[in-house]
Amino acid sequence: MFKQALPLCLCILLSACDLIDYHPYDGRLTISERNINEQNIPLIEAATKDKDTIRFVLMGDTQRSYDETNDFVKHINRKKDSIDFIIHGGDYTEFGMKKEYEWAVDILSKLDIPYVGLIGNHDIIGNGDQVYEKLFGNENFSFIARDVKFVCLNTNAIEYDYSHPVPDFGFLKEELEDSTRQYSRTVVAMHARPGSDQFDNNIKDVFQLYIRQFPSLMFCLNAHNHQLQMDDLFDDGIIYYGCSNIAKRNYILFTLTPDSYTYEVIDF
Amino acid sequence: MTLFLLLIGTLQAQESSEDEARYTKRVEKYISRWEKLIPRYSKIQYAGSMGLISLGTGWNYYRNHWETDVLLGLVPRYSDRHAMVTMTLKQNYYPWNIPLSDKLSFEPLACGFYINTLFDRDFWGRQPDKYPKGYYWFSTRIRTHIFAGERFTLKLNENKSWHKSISFFYELSTCDLYLINKIGNKSLKPKDYMSLSFGLKLQIL
Repeated sequence: MFKQALPLCLCILLSACDLIDYHPYDGRLTISERNINEQNIPLIEAATKDKDTIRFVLMGDTQRSYDETNDFVKHINRKKDSIDFIIHGGDYTEFGMKKEYEWAVDILSKLDIPYVGLIGNHDIIGNGDQVYEKLFGNENFSFIARDVKFVCLNTNAIEYDYSHPVPDFGFLKEELEDSTRQYSRTVVAMHARPGSDQFDNNIKDVFQLYIRQFPSLMFCLNAHNHQLQMDDLFDDGIIYYGCSNIAKRNYILFTLTPDSYTYEVIDF
Repeated sequence: MTLFLLLIGTLQAQESSEDEARYTKRVEKYISRWEKLIPRYSKIQYAGSMGLISLGTGWNYYRNHWETDVLLGLVPRYSDRHAMVTMTLKQNYYPWNIPLSDKLSFEPLACGFYINTLFDRDFWGRQPDKYPKGYYWFSTRIRTHIFAGERFTLKLNENKSWHKSISFFYELSTCDLYLINKIGNKSLKPKDYMSLSFGLKLQIL
């Protein structure tokens, strides 16, 4: 009787797939989302193409704050008509584990507005960077909303050795020289800003000089520091806007008009 | 005088036979001590956050209430650049054993913990020196898990089979870092952070 029941038991147990976990760092994705940035960028570009005013949200550091991230998604979906897209500044995970990625992406996938996600330092831990690549795509990417190019960079230099360029000046050069796409203004987004513990501070001045080559650099965006920040880091008029972690229940809403911009900190 | 010599001779003979007995006893003790180190069973376990499949051996002791396993696991390549090997040290406790029939018995509770380590240079036991002091407090290589489960054991015919018995078990487990994620998050449900595994034990000794 036992021998007959065994295959049946095995079948039932195998079907309980949700509970099967090979290892916290197995990288075996059980959700269907892939290349999130690549999928959402065309949506953002199409939605903002014919608009005069673009409104986007900067938030980030959602690690270990699944409840707050859920609330954020519900809050944003209530006002979806007034926002064009969302930039997640990175740190979906605390430990770089696959399950943390899946929990976070599961929540974010409920957003009714397209979002792009940067890579945070915690997301690189273990083999997290390889999971990020599968879920979100390249660690450096760009998109154009109306006439504004958003250059999104991996700046978590301390997580790598010198064989991996962070920030990737090769990528920046390609973006600078790319004349196939029309844009007149630029925003640079990153997880860790120059001067932070993650940034390669030996090259921070060179980095700033280089990104200022982009057409009308308006401002820079960052997450990582878990607090609201608005600083002219290099005394050159380029403000770095840093969002707080989602656990503090606020985000920054930017409004880009044809010749200016405003921002607002919104609590939820 | 002759009598005296005879007496001494007998005493010597007695002493030497006593020595021999003591020696044999000592050897037996020595062998039995080392014999205790011979693994008593083999185990195979599927999933459980320690590998796709883990194979190993171990020892049962103290009226079979306790078992200690050493397992080697394999994590196939999914998102990572390569597959990984893990090692697990597992301590099991079975408080009750209920005989269901002559051959079948049931252990309604199996519980314990296991420590799993990854053999992979991308993972560290303690954060590398490049980070500021206390930057990452945790280890990515070593995970501690707790588990609870149940087990059925079927006695085998020792004349026909090389194994004394075969056991089927299943377990639910979770690990340190999953629990830390659960803290303060009502939206994380047990199905999110619990891990199901099952396996077989083949008793040899």
